[in-house]
Amino acid sequence: MKKNTSILITILGTVLLAVGLYMVRAIIDPQGIMKTMPYLAIGLGCGMFGHGLGELYNRHVIAKDPKLAKQMEINQKDERNVMLANTAKAKGFDIMTYVFSALLLAYALMGSGWEIIIPFVIAYLFVEIYAVYSRVKIEKEQ
Amino acid sequence: MKNRLEEIRKQHGIKQEELASALEVSRQTIGSLENGRYNPSILLAFKIAHYFNLRIEDIFIYEEELR
Repeated sequence: MKKNTSILITILGTVLLAVGLYMVRAIIDPQGIMKTMPYLAIGLGCGMFGHGLGELYNRHVIAKDPKLAKQMEINQKDERNVMLANTAKAKGFDIMTYVFSALLLAYALMGSGWEIIIPFVIAYLFVEIYAVYSRVKIEKEQ
Repeated sequence: MKNRLEEIRKQHGIKQEELASALEVSRQTIGSLENGRYNPSILLAFKIAHYFNLRIEDIFIYEEELR
């Protein structure tokens, strides 16, 4: 990520956080979407602020120590590390498939409304279809 | 896959860290290779062989009978 982007994200996060806090204090009797909007702004603001500042700090540390930067790059590109990360992600995906279906079954047995089950099914199918699509795409590439 | 990496590295008097740095991999990768826990990619195997001026077969031992 570029330095300017990190600065922009940090500033945007700070602004969102400030706006969220202001809305919490200023709006006495919130109605409709305004009930959740301030907290959404605070959450998003905190996330963006932390992410942006983290990136800036990381950049600062790396700039001070080129040896550390080189080591970090090596660790990031190291083929065993990449393999471990991919294996862990694949295992995570496998377990997510079972967790998703178990949760879906639980919702169905609890008699939850269609407005919960249908988006859930769509999300589940999207993830599974995307996995198949990726497989076909990668197979064509290699 | 078995290999003679540790033996060859020690013959050359090189530390794991130095080899890792020269090959641009982590020290843990060298450790795992030496223990036989990790099989390298063909690219890394070539890099290792080049580094020691050896052939891949001189370092890595393919044991067909075990398969």
